[in-house]
Amino acid sequence: MSGVTCIRPHREFVLSDCGDSAVRLTSLSADAEERWQAVHTVAAALDARGDEVAVTGIIPTYDALLVEFDCGATTHDAIRAHVERLIELPADAAARGPRQFEIPVVYGGDFGPDLDEVAEHLELSPAEVIRLHGAGPLTMRCFGSPGGAPMLDGPAFPRPVPRRTIPRPHVPAGAVAVAGRQAVVSARPAPGGWPVIGRTPLTIVDPATDPLSDFRPGDTFLFVPITAAEWSTYEGVRHG
Amino acid sequence: MAESITVTTPGLTSIQDLGRLRASRFGQMTGGASDQYSADVANALVGSPRTAPLLELVAMDFGAVASIDLLVAVTGAPAEVQVGGVTRPQWEPFVWTAGEELTVRGIRDGLRVYLAVHGTIDAPYLLGSCAPDSVLGFGRQLTVGESVAIDVDGPPIDHPHFRMPLFRLGARPAAFTGCWTIDVTDGPDVHEFGSTSARLFDTPFVIGGNSNHIGLRLTPTDPGSPVPRRDRSTEVLSRGVPIGAVEVPAGDEILVLHRGRGVTAGYPVLAVVTATALSQLGQARPGQEVRFRKVTVSDAVDAYRTQRRSIDLLRSRVANAFASLRIPLHTETTSAQHSSVPQMESA
Repeated sequence: MSGVTCIRPHREFVLSDCGDSAVRLTSLSADAEERWQAVHTVAAALDARGDEVAVTGIIPTYDALLVEFDCGATTHDAIRAHVERLIELPADAAARGPRQFEIPVVYGGDFGPDLDEVAEHLELSPAEVIRLHGAGPLTMRCFGSPGGAPMLDGPAFPRPVPRRTIPRPHVPAGAVAVAGRQAVVSARPAPGGWPVIGRTPLTIVDPATDPLSDFRPGDTFLFVPITAAEWSTYEGVRHG
Repeated sequence: MAESITVTTPGLTSIQDLGRLRASRFGQMTGGASDQYSADVANALVGSPRTAPLLELVAMDFGAVASIDLLVAVTGAPAEVQVGGVTRPQWEPFVWTAGEELTVRGIRDGLRVYLAVHGTIDAPYLLGSCAPDSVLGFGRQLTVGESVAIDVDGPPIDHPHFRMPLFRLGARPAAFTGCWTIDVTDGPDVHEFGSTSARLFDTPFVIGGNSNHIGLRLTPTDPGSPVPRRDRSTEVLSRGVPIGAVEVPAGDEILVLHRGRGVTAGYPVLAVVTATALSQLGQARPGQEVRFRKVTVSDAVDAYRTQRRSIDLLRSRVANAFASLRIPLHTETTSAQHSSVPQMESA
């Protein structure tokens, strides 16, 4: 239970303490798809067994998994041992196969105030940025903040996109943003530091329904440009 | 038996619990009482389950009238608590007499006060919790004239013993004096800060005005003191961040994520505030000075377990006291009915 990071290169993962109530598993596999598979497989297995080991939260992302637990009811050693056992398991078949969603987006202007800046950074025209963003389906890797935003692989831009130096105090729900090698669709209004290139009129999460969202990690998103005049056609529509 | 309290002075008050466990799986905040210790003790003092709904008052005066005698307990920051103009103690159960106004005024030193009831406060649930989620827009603040239904599931409590301050149950009040010591453990990415990580402990910090249940912003009390700096600029993929994560996004301030934090971030985690110190920070007002202290993970776990054990012992003293007065104890089944509801009920 020391704070020392446990490195076992032969197993291609690192388990680190994250305070008194969480540990972080990071996959070091050479392949990004394998890293994602590894942490989501452990997350699914914890989901099935979590209550037995006092797990209170499971956050799998691209290559990492945060496991939150009640340190009054279990120990770091027990959680670490549990995770190390689960990582050896073969991947379970997903509850459902991946689905593809078409996401209509109004790019630029008030809908995507950072489009021009992103284009400038990438040394592309805004039209080329839009084309690359919708050139092919992007895979959803996890739910993230704010409010259960689908987090995706980034488009095939020539280089990573820097975060804004000054975060925007208000980013609306449906904002379509990119940063680093990632892409996201904001689920709820919140401050945000990611450059916003467009906005979808679709409803991404709905607190009045169960589940809150139709999307699952592994699904793919195909972004389709629409005009501002078409916004109302899709406004408030929930996908799925 | 459906009874209620009717709000006369709403202040900034919401129905709260210990948080939405496992909601982080779907990208949602955990939320829940910012001072988990005081909330846990409040429910223990009235013999309600740990996860039972209770009221969280933030900074502002509160008042309400009860339709029936209620056994209640008030914990958290110091304040003037009165029923019908007569002062009542904090950190001990007392009776809120039917028809009388209970007021909580002049919340000081800390920020939040908790009011727990022997009975079940009615609240809408989402994913097994009534905790407000400011990002999802779930839950809300009470308004003047609003009635909150309370199921007292038993005969009204009208025991002569409750008319006087009888109980001495020995709940340990949270401390609120001087410069607070906030315990942290090394974060998983502390090595990315090199020797600058020690700056977290070199100087006191002051809580900034733009702090809330999502996170607290702090700056060194001496504006000339440098904050820790990451020694590299490589991109970090978004990943799960723990409640209590200490980050240094930019500029001269540090950020401590609290219970309403977004579950993912692309910043390295310098340190993590301990579970017990998170309850302290849940009480920190803008302007409060704090000093960080590094502890080991095992010391942090020991401190948390000691705190939980003290609440367990308090629960058994409450159970004994209630048994001798023939007050029915609420069973866990009351709250289990709620937690089995998978989605939001109509408010």
